[in-house]
Amino acid sequence: MATSKLQALWNHPAGPKTIHFWAPTFKWGISIANIADFAKPPEKLSYPQQFAVTATGVIWSRYSMVITPKNWNLLSVNIAMAGTGLYQLSRKIRHDYFNEEEAATLKE
Amino acid sequence: MSFFKTFINSPVGPKTTHFWGPVANWGFVAAAMADIEKPPEMLSGNMTGVMCVYSALCMRFAWMIRPRNYLLLVCHASNETVQLYQLSRWARGQGYLQLKEDKTSST
Repeated sequence: MATSKLQALWNHPAGPKTIHFWAPTFKWGISIANIADFAKPPEKLSYPQQFAVTATGVIWSRYSMVITPKNWNLLSVNIAMAGTGLYQLSRKIRHDYFNEEEAATLKE
Repeated sequence: MSFFKTFINSPVGPKTTHFWGPVANWGFVAAAMADIEKPPEMLSGNMTGVMCVYSALCMRFAWMIRPRNYLLLVCHASNETVQLYQLSRWARGQGYLQLKEDKTSST
């Protein structure tokens, strides 16, 4: 019983033998790479890149719910992308705009 | 004028998600172009490497889905190109692409 279910999944038209599976699955790599970059100092983060990651995540989250059938896998991966992108943006903004005040007060 | 109308009402046109998804992904290309002059120490090897694999997969995806999405294909072909370039800049900055003679002479 279990093997036939597994076989059904394995042979699914959007299953692991097809690109329909691997392209969305690999999209998790973007969020994982971003999480790995949480350790990077904020000076090394890129505003354009993080903005692109966040915007893509938000737009694709919406559209994964508008297509037929609804693609929950695609929704979750794009929510993760938007989340990591927003966090990285907040780190960099905090460093660029709020630490300056501290540094300025220290200089005075 | 009728070409414009056909485009607006096309099954992969701006009234559909098949259009705006790829538009969003052009953001990656735009971001890479904005960062093209950045010093290699500021590039993220993680993100650039992942982008290279990801865009290759998405080129295949855009080709195989129905309706075939040429917009998505072109977007990811462009991203693949620019991300590979950025990856080579990062790798060179890290010292990965030196010739053996250079390496032995520097040690």
